[in-house]
Amino acid sequence: MINKDRGIRYVAPALAVLLLITAYPVFYVLYLSLHRELLIFKISKFIGPDNFFFLFQDDRFWNALKNTVYFSTLSVSVELALGLCIALLLNRSFRLKGVTRAVVLLPWAIPTVVSARMWELIFNSDFGVLNYLLGAHINWLGSPSWAIHAAILVDIWKTTPFVVILLTAGLQIIPGELYRAARTDGAGAWKVFRTITLPLLLPVILVVLLFRTLDAFRVFDVIYVLTGGGPANATETLSLYAYKILFQTLQFGYGSAISVMVFVCTGCISVFYIKLMTGSTPR
Amino acid sequence: MPDVQDGRSTGGASTAVIQSDMHAQIITYLLLGTIIVNSNCFPGTKDAPPASRIVFKHGKVSGDYERFKTLLKAFEKNNPGIVVEDEALPASTDEQHQFYVINFEGGRADFDVVSMDVIWVPEFSRAGWLLDITDMLSEKEKAEFFPGPIRAVTYRNRLYAVPWYIDAGLLFFRKDLLAKYGLSPPETWQDLVSSSLLIMSTEPGVHGFIWQGKQYEGLVCNALEYLWSNNGDVLRGERVAINSPENIRALRFMRDLIARYGVSPSLVTTSSEEPCRHIFGNGRAVFMRNWPYAWNLFNAEKSPVKGRVGITTLPSFRKGASQPVLGGWQLGINRHTKHPAEARALVRFLTSPESQKMLFLAAGYYPARKSLYRDRELMLQQSFLPELYRLFMKARPRPVTPYYMMLSQVLQPEFSAVVAGLKTPEDALASAQKQIEHILEAEYDQ
Repeated sequence: MINKDRGIRYVAPALAVLLLITAYPVFYVLYLSLHRELLIFKISKFIGPDNFFFLFQDDRFWNALKNTVYFSTLSVSVELALGLCIALLLNRSFRLKGVTRAVVLLPWAIPTVVSARMWELIFNSDFGVLNYLLGAHINWLGSPSWAIHAAILVDIWKTTPFVVILLTAGLQIIPGELYRAARTDGAGAWKVFRTITLPLLLPVILVVLLFRTLDAFRVFDVIYVLTGGGPANATETLSLYAYKILFQTLQFGYGSAISVMVFVCTGCISVFYIKLMTGSTPR
Repeated sequence: MPDVQDGRSTGGASTAVIQSDMHAQIITYLLLGTIIVNSNCFPGTKDAPPASRIVFKHGKVSGDYERFKTLLKAFEKNNPGIVVEDEALPASTDEQHQFYVINFEGGRADFDVVSMDVIWVPEFSRAGWLLDITDMLSEKEKAEFFPGPIRAVTYRNRLYAVPWYIDAGLLFFRKDLLAKYGLSPPETWQDLVSSSLLIMSTEPGVHGFIWQGKQYEGLVCNALEYLWSNNGDVLRGERVAINSPENIRALRFMRDLIARYGVSPSLVTTSSEEPCRHIFGNGRAVFMRNWPYAWNLFNAEKSPVKGRVGITTLPSFRKGASQPVLGGWQLGINRHTKHPAEARALVRFLTSPESQKMLFLAAGYYPARKSLYRDRELMLQQSFLPELYRLFMKARPRPVTPYYMMLSQVLQPEFSAVVAGLKTPEDALASAQKQIEHILEAEYDQ
C-alpha cells in the first residue's frame, strides 16, 4: 500500500504534464465542437450537436473523408509492399550495401515541405522533368484525377524509407539458424519467406501499418504545399478541411467538429491495429 | 495587382527576413545604447520636440517604390513632427489578411494606418478593429469617389476606410484580329462565342477566350461577373439567393465555354491572372478577362501585341447588363492607435487627388477619385482613361458582408468543381446555398 502511494507520487508530475498537453486540448476541442464560435466577432453560443448534424450532410466533409481514406489506403499499401522488397534486399550482404542503405534513406531525411516543393517543380506541366521524360503533356497537379495520385506518389517516395528502416530492424532479429535449418530441410526461397520471414516479421509489420496509417490519415503538409486541396477539392483531406475552416475562416466551432471526427477515426484505426497486434504476438 | 494570391512564393524568404530582422534588432540596440550614452553627454538634445511616429502597413508596392517613398517624405515635410514608417507585408493577399487578423485580434497598437483589400473592410469593421472615420468625408466629398468603393467601405451606415485606388475586371481583345474579320467587340456572351469560333477556325494555335478558373479568390471574381450579368446574385438582403435559375444558367455557360463551345482551353481551370496575361501577351488568345494592370505590360517595348490590344466592358447575357467586379485597396486606421490625429492626416493625404495622381504615375494605381479621369497629364499617359471611368462607375463590390471570407471559402471549391466538370451547376449551387445559410445563421441567430 505504501509502495503504491509512493509510485503514484513519482509519476504524478509526468501525469500532470501529459494531462496538460494532451487531455486538455482534446477536451477543449470537444467543448468547442458543441459551440458556434466566431472568435473575431465575439460570437460564442452553445448549440449542442448541431455542428455534427450539419457535418453529416456536408458533402465537402464526405468528399474529404473519401479522399483521406483513398490516400491512406493506397499510399500505405504501396509503401508496405515496396518497403518490404527493399528491406529484404538490404538484408542480404552485397558490395556497396552501406552506400545503398544511405541512398535509400535519403528521401526520409528531407523535410516534407522541401520535398513537396521539389516535386511541385517535377510535376509542372510546362517545364517539369516528369513530362519531359515521358514525352507527355499531363497536367499532373491541375487535373482532379491525376492530382491525388501525384500527392500519393510523393508520399510514397518520402515515407517508404521509414518503412524500410523498421522492417530491416525486424528482419535482423530473426535468428539465422532458422534459415539454415529450413534450407537443410530443403525449403525453397518462397517457402522460407512464407513460413519463417513473414510470420516472424508480422508484429513489426503491424507496427509499421499502425504508424503509417495514422500518419497518412492525418496528411497535411504534402497536400498543402502541392495543391492546397484543389483542383475542385479533389485532393482536400480531412486535416486540410479542418485547417481551412479553423484558421482561414476562423470558424472554431465547426472546425473543431471536423477535428473531433479526425480524432474518432484515428482512434478507431489505433484500436483495430492494437487488437490485431495483441492477437498476433506469441506469448 | 489585386487578387493575385501567390502564397507559394514567399515561404523561402521568411527565414531570411527573420534573420535580417534579428540583425536589425541587434544593430538597433547597439545604436540605442550609443544614443543614450551620447544624450547623457549632451543634455541639450533633450529639448527637441518629440516626433510622433506612425506606422503604415501596406502590401508590396508595384512599380517605382522610390517615388512612393517620395510621397511619404512629402507628407512628413508638410506635417512637421510626424514621422511615417512604412512596412510592407507579404505579397500574397491571403497572408496579409492573416497578419491583420492575428495582430488586430491581439489588440496590437504598433501600427496605425492599414491598407485593406476591398473585401476585408466589413469584416474588420464588424470585429471592431477599425476607427470609425465617418466624420472624415462629407457627403459632398464622398461623391467625389466612385460609388462602388464607397459602398464597400461603409458598414452599418458608418465609414471605416477611405478608398485609395480602384480596380475592376474587364475584357481585353485583339483589335487587329477583330478588324481582320470585320468584327466589333462583343456585347453579349453569345457574340463572344461566335467571334471566337470564327477566328479560331482560321487562326491555328490561337485560343478564343481565357480567364481565371483556378480554385482561388480570382475565380469567385470571374464567376460573379457571369452571375451578375444574368441578373443573379449571392445574397439578396439577408436572404441567401445563390441557388437560383439565373445563377445556374450563368455557371453552366462558364462550363460550356470549355466543354461545349470549346472557345476556352481547359487550362483556364488552373489559371490565375499571370498565366492568362502571358498567353494573351504572346498573341495566343483573342479575348481575355483580366484587370487593368495588364494594359501597360501589353504596350511595353518588345511586347508582341504592342498596339494591337483593345479594352471594353465584359459581355453580358442581355445587352448592357454587364457589371465588373470591384477590386482595389482602402486605407483605414487601427482602433487602438495612439496617434489618431496623425493617422487621419496620413489617410487624408494619401487619398487626396494630388497623391492619387502621383501614385498613378509612379505605380500605375488607378485613382479612386473620379475627377482625375479628366486630368490632362494622366490622359497623356493612358489614352483610354475615359473608358476606364465608365468601367469603374459600373464596378460592383463583392457581397458586402463581414462573412465574405467565409462565403468565398464556400464558393471557391463549388465554382471550381463546376468549371472543371466535376459537379453540375445545380448540385454545386444547392450545396453552396446550404453552406452559406449555415454560416450566416451565426449572425442572425444570436
